[in-house]
Amino acid sequence: MDSLVGFVGKNYVLIAGDTNAGRSIMRLKDDFDKLVPIDSHKILAKSGEIGDGNQFCNLIIRNVSLYRIRNETELTTKSVAHYTRRQLATAIRKNPYSVNLLLGGYDKKDQKGSLYYLDYLGSSKKINYGAQGYAALFVGSILDRFWKEDLDFEDGLELMKKCLREVEKRLIIGTRCFLIKMINSDGISVVEKVMINSKNKNEIEEEN
Amino acid sequence: MFTLGSVLDNELKSTVEDFSFETNFSTNQLMLPNIEKPFEFAQSIIGLEKDLQENENQLMFHQQKKEERKERALIKGYKGTTTLAFIYEKGTVIAVDSRATSGQYIASQSVQKVVPINSYMLGTLAGGAADCQFFLAHLGRICNLYELRNNETISVAAASKLLNNILYSYRNYGLSVGSMICGYDTRGPQLYYIDSDGSRLKNSLFSVGSGSPFAYGVLDAGYRWDLSKEEALDLGRRAICAATFKDSYSGGTIKVYHIDENGWVKISDDDASELWYEYEKKEKKEKK
Repeated sequence: MDSLVGFVGKNYVLIAGDTNAGRSIMRLKDDFDKLVPIDSHKILAKSGEIGDGNQFCNLIIRNVSLYRIRNETELTTKSVAHYTRRQLATAIRKNPYSVNLLLGGYDKKDQKGSLYYLDYLGSSKKINYGAQGYAALFVGSILDRFWKEDLDFEDGLELMKKCLREVEKRLIIGTRCFLIKMINSDGISVVEKVMINSKNKNEIEEEN
Repeated sequence: MFTLGSVLDNELKSTVEDFSFETNFSTNQLMLPNIEKPFEFAQSIIGLEKDLQENENQLMFHQQKKEERKERALIKGYKGTTTLAFIYEKGTVIAVDSRATSGQYIASQSVQKVVPINSYMLGTLAGGAADCQFFLAHLGRICNLYELRNNETISVAAASKLLNNILYSYRNYGLSVGSMICGYDTRGPQLYYIDSDGSRLKNSLFSVGSGSPFAYGVLDAGYRWDLSKEEALDLGRRAICAATFKDSYSGGTIKVYHIDENGWVKISDDDASELWYEYEKKEKKEKK
């Protein structure tokens, strides 16, 4: 039910998530932020159970902070991805966390953005573009077709909106509101909170 | 048999050096039954419909068939009630019904579904009555200890986070808690929804229970931030009334509470069925 979409562009990473939080058929909250900042240049996008997501993301955030305090150095995205994967993998056969994650980050050393796909079973893969949830079915082919290396920010945002438009159009469970965040050398910024209505010809309205 | 009481005693103890409440809650030692695979044991006895379905997909070491497990599920969790709460300009309104059912049988029409945590915070009950009552009373104890140790009133956010962490540590044990923590602190009126699955959500209005879709209908249609106190109380009362009319698991009496900067106050306690017909009469009079 949660939809997360992300891809890497030229010196930035774009991640979008829907803003629904619900229980069985009911939407409890429609402005729920699933894109949690780990530190100034990394986002952990969570999907799956709300409780597990909250607690697991808190665990990762606090441990990354602890590392920074102890060692006076920031972790790279790759290290955080590996650490997160390990936590998921050791938990799976005892008390599994049912969260699927997209970890996006910008490393100042390499001056590049990177995106990782992490699963509740403990799988982890560095990807250029990807999605979690039902959105992955619809959006996978669009990204295969249109994603290119080193997309400019405007082209990237247009591609993201194309993906979100498809999710809104085809996913029978209503997800109209999405939050798009970007990570670049300046850090994390909220690009837009979009509400998509595919019946309108002017399809996308910005919501502030 | 493991007991929750002895586990939670650890949380209440403290040494003289402790000036923050954090030290004791991090050592949340769960006492598990003295068998292999205690989670499976808990799940085999307490079968929540949702857990049975999810666990099939997720836990790879589950070997029992779904039908077998359903048969052995002696205790079923359900949330036959309607509770709602919302915050508005002048404070928080909480409205609840008071019916307790066990299957088709109405066990009681006069259940207290609102538990006071302290003088400015209330918690609502939905799901398993025993679970909710115990954990909300326990939360009250912890909040009291916090205030004694730290010489300041606890915020609603902190209190809800404490409850959330406790419930999360018991998440596979078949507890059924759908509670709302409502209060008024330095940040204004606050409302959090806490679940036995471990979710904690902050929003301006929530409704929990089997009658919640019906309550949401009336609530969403009439809710505004700038309601007057009378309008807000009336909205809460009408929403529960609508839910008790439509949902057979909700009924009894409708209790309405209000929380503002002076603390919580019980506003009214009306019989649900009588209230419905009173509203009808009022409308007929107005038409004439």
